Amino acid sequence: MSRQPSAPRGAHSQRPTGSMRWRAWARHHRAMALDSARRLLRAPVGSLLTMLAIAIALVLPAGLWLALDSARLLDAELEESATLTAYLSTAIGEDEAGRIEQALATQAGVADTRLITAAEGMAEFQQALGLRDALTRLEGNPLPASVVVRPADPDPQAVRRLAEALEAVPGVDEVRLDLAWLERLRHLAELGQRVTLALGVLFGLGVLLVVGNTVRLAVENRRQEIEVVTLIGATHAFVRRPFLYSGAWFGLGGGLLAWGLLTLGSDWLSAPVSALAASYGARFHLSRLGTEGSTILLVCSILLGWLGAWIAVNRHLAEIRPR
Amino acid sequence: MIDFEHVGKRYGGRFEALANLDFRVRRGEMVFLTGHSGAGKSSLLRLVMRLERPSRGRILVAGHDIDRLHATQVPFYRRQIGVVFQDHQLLFDRSIYHNVALPLEIQGVEHREAARRVRAALDKVGLLYRERALPIELSSGEQQRVGIARAVVNTPALLLADEPTGNLDPQLSADIMALFEDFNRIGTTVMVASHDLALIARLRHRTLRLHEGRLVADEEVA
Repeated sequence: MSRQPSAPRGAHSQRPTGSMRWRAWARHHRAMALDSARRLLRAPVGSLLTMLAIAIALVLPAGLWLALDSARLLDAELEESATLTAYLSTAIGEDEAGRIEQALATQAGVADTRLITAAEGMAEFQQALGLRDALTRLEGNPLPASVVVRPADPDPQAVRRLAEALEAVPGVDEVRLDLAWLERLRHLAELGQRVTLALGVLFGLGVLLVVGNTVRLAVENRRQEIEVVTLIGATHAFVRRPFLYSGAWFGLGGGLLAWGLLTLGSDWLSAPVSALAASYGARFHLSRLGTEGSTILLVCSILLGWLGAWIAVNRHLAEIRPR
Repeated sequence: MIDFEHVGKRYGGRFEALANLDFRVRRGEMVFLTGHSGAGKSSLLRLVMRLERPSRGRILVAGHDIDRLHATQVPFYRRQIGVVFQDHQLLFDRSIYHNVALPLEIQGVEHREAARRVRAALDKVGLLYRERALPIELSSGEQQRVGIARAVVNTPALLLADEPTGNLDPQLSADIMALFEDFNRIGTTVMVASHDLALIARLRHRTLRLHEGRLVADEEVA
């Protein structure tokens, strides 16, 4: 009397065909999705508190991720402005400097070059420092001509290799590259990414715990129902289903709240952040969650809610034995 | 229908709830199971429902060794048994109709077909007019009849009842037993555990008497 039709009566009318079974399954899913939504709405304050707890747990890592995303744009802008300066020997005249510039421009890995003659260098220096009077007293121009080189590949390793290559060109005295700040920024960005990832994992666990605890209480409240349906032949999947749906609803609600908080927060912060960046002469805007980001946020929160419910229900199903 | 072959059940390795039970219930038979409380009636029913597994021996139901059912098959096995409980185990947050419909919902029976079967079962126990009521609004005897309707809504081949008249007065008890006899008459194998010896004596069905986990009498009634 297992699945095989062996009982003479009763069994024949219960043996559904494949498509009937599929429809029954879909019907039960629909019914349970609605039923668990109704149960959440019946206790609106409790449900809202759970969703808020989820939202808060999601906002911090998602907000950090947005900040990093904004920083990445800034990073790209900075890398574009990363240049090398090749100082030529002071003895070299202007014609010679032009030729050396041509030589540098043909080197592999060089995007473009700009020659700054000794006179131009002096003028720039004077303007930048406001030392016109002091410098006019100097005899002759102590500054060498220089060539500003923009590398094709802004990666610090590549830039350093390019610097070595340029230093070997005859007539080049010294190549200066100021990569330290660029590297520091990269390290900071990597640190930020790792912190975000760690926080994301931690707060994701937090969501699992919040949902798990809420669902644990729901399972406890419906213990008798679970026992009864198990006695009359409910499968574990059947018992689990309403709880999984409520977990998913909690996740969805929490995700939507988190989305709302992030949107409000970035609107609220964007004006001062842009103003601050502008005062440093940088173009920096807080990123907003696009369609893709919003989808990822919601999918993650729904999955986390579902998973939290799954863990909680399974732990309790093992404990609940019909009396 | 039910074959017990030298079945024993120990709990916690020491307490022997059932010892060396060896009997057979034929298809279409109605059997009473009696004995003092603690004699092992409930343990025996739990074994048939496969809520417990025997410590020794074999239980065959409809020819299948139910100890060998895989955990995933057990729900499908239970769907073919109707069970009536002493405390009726109704769900108090839903109507009589939905309580009776529960086994059909679990099996995914289509709504219209389910409605037809639920109404037939409620009609059989005389409670069709209360289908919208909540269990709390019903008397104890009516609640038990709802429990019976839920057990038979599936038209199971085997109907088990554990002290179904435990809390009822004699007249209601007789009504409930008459219902079981009706189901037995249309071919359902029925096994009722009860310590209401006076009632059992009047009904004249085969009676298995348990004492301290042993089968001490198997009285066939002509």
